[in-house]
Amino acid sequence: MSFKRLETDDFVIANDSITSTLWSDDVPSLTTFYSNSIQEASSAGTYYLSVYNTSSTDQQIQFDIAYCDKLGSGSALYNNAVPENSPTKTLYGQYRTLILEDENLDFIFGSAAASGIDACGNTITSSTAITSDNFWIINIERARYKQSIFPGSLNLSLSGSNGIISITDNSNDIVTIPYIGSTRAYQLVSGSNGSGIIANGGYTADSGSYGILFPDLGTILLNPLAISESIHLAPSRTNDSNGFNNRALFNSLNLGASFGLNSQETITSDYVFVRARNSEFNYSENPSFISGSTGEVIYSNFINAPQTYITTVGMYNDMNELVAVAKMSRPLLKDFTKEALVRVKLDF
Amino acid sequence: MGYLNNQVITVDAILTKKGRELLAKNDGSFRITQFALADDEIDYTLYNPTHPSGSSFYGEAIDNMPLLEAFPIESQIMKYKLATLPRGTAKMPVLDLGYAAITLQQGASISITPQTLNYLGNSQTYETSGYSLTISDIRLLNTFNGLGINSTAATSANAEASNAVTTTLGTDVANTVIGTQFNLRGTTINTLFAPSNTSINGTLTFIGLDSGARLTIPITINYTT
Repeated sequence: MSFKRLETDDFVIANDSITSTLWSDDVPSLTTFYSNSIQEASSAGTYYLSVYNTSSTDQQIQFDIAYCDKLGSGSALYNNAVPENSPTKTLYGQYRTLILEDENLDFIFGSAAASGIDACGNTITSSTAITSDNFWIINIERARYKQSIFPGSLNLSLSGSNGIISITDNSNDIVTIPYIGSTRAYQLVSGSNGSGIIANGGYTADSGSYGILFPDLGTILLNPLAISESIHLAPSRTNDSNGFNNRALFNSLNLGASFGLNSQETITSDYVFVRARNSEFNYSENPSFISGSTGEVIYSNFINAPQTYITTVGMYNDMNELVAVAKMSRPLLKDFTKEALVRVKLDF
Repeated sequence: MGYLNNQVITVDAILTKKGRELLAKNDGSFRITQFALADDEIDYTLYNPTHPSGSSFYGEAIDNMPLLEAFPIESQIMKYKLATLPRGTAKMPVLDLGYAAITLQQGASISITPQTLNYLGNSQTYETSGYSLTISDIRLLNTFNGLGINSTAATSANAEASNAVTTTLGTDVANTVIGTQFNLRGTTINTLFAPSNTSINGTLTFIGLDSGARLTIPITINYTT
């Protein structure tokens, strides 16, 4: 007999959380940023600016930058007859629907609560939680972040005329996971590796947090008011005029020269325990195991003490169809004095 | 006192082409229920029972050989299965077809009834679960079916093959049927021989579903003017 049925307890399902570097070529931090003039000049370029890891022909998109404005400022109108309707307003509505899930709500940087104590233990005042009607978006390419962004891994440097600010998420400062709408949301603060600077939790003095990280959406919102207060980088909010705000943030990133981020995904593995008892699988249908056409085993000592070498494990369904296969790294000796236990891992 | 080796060998499996197909169907057919072991790549002539250093060294040439990664095509892997047989077995099961090669004219038929020698104490027997027969290129045949086994697997495989001979006329794909008797009829489609081939070739692989014994023979279909 060649097939052996598996028992119920031979199967184990395990979920493993895997984190890894997010950018192409497994670099932990992007230090150089490239745009593509064709993309920037295209119709899509009026909405967002794609950022690449290299200028060579094998460049890959790492993330997109967009600017969103509730009033439609910072970009040309679709039609002069309809004031305020512009790409930046469209994008604002897009993210309001996606994140806030209510067209009557506004984005609040610092805390979703209006008053009280925030997750960092700071007293919320009008200066630590502000309502904003514009923001920058950094949208990570889906293939890069896989399932979600790993909280605590964000280290972003932005440069402006007043210097460089290092921004991280505050996931390591808090004990409960905060939500906005139905998605996880971590405030962006001044600090590193998921912790804000101790003095004030990393918030600005008067403009709330620097933004919000949405790990499950692969999205980072940046609060222009806080960034402007810190490094004097502010978007252009002229009506019916291209403010080149995507380019402004790109330049800031380029001069900051450091954008670290990790991905996180849960891999479900199916483990199958394959057990070969001492009396099983000791003979082989391998042609070199047989001498001649009559089927005699090749060596006389193989009659009572056969030795076989397991190289391959085949997993079959009830129809005897081979659905999965695993190879050993080297042959595993099997005879009547040995039992083999092989754990086969199937990833989905 | 030393530590006992409690290591469990862990290997990563890949899905075969058939496995991916069944997973995509999402109809429950991708359900692992049994396993088999094989010793593909092992050449037992390298085993040396007269090694001067003793029995620990008989398998010296095999023990540490590097192995290839798994192939996803079912027909290229799990070729030589390990079998569970009573200790003292002197002869391994082998298949007997009565043919070393098969040559058919276009439209001609043949019926093949495999037997297994040296199996379960019998010099010659039919295996209870039957045999699988895989043709390397289904286009060679107009009729390809197996009879004598009524299992779900056999019924499904035979129905699929019956469908394949009419729906995959232009595609070079393998196909498998299950039974104790197999009926084959050479293709009548002349275009397969174009422009000047007088014959087309393939292989037939028989596998005993109980014993794991395997035999591959060539098949040739001759063009009939």
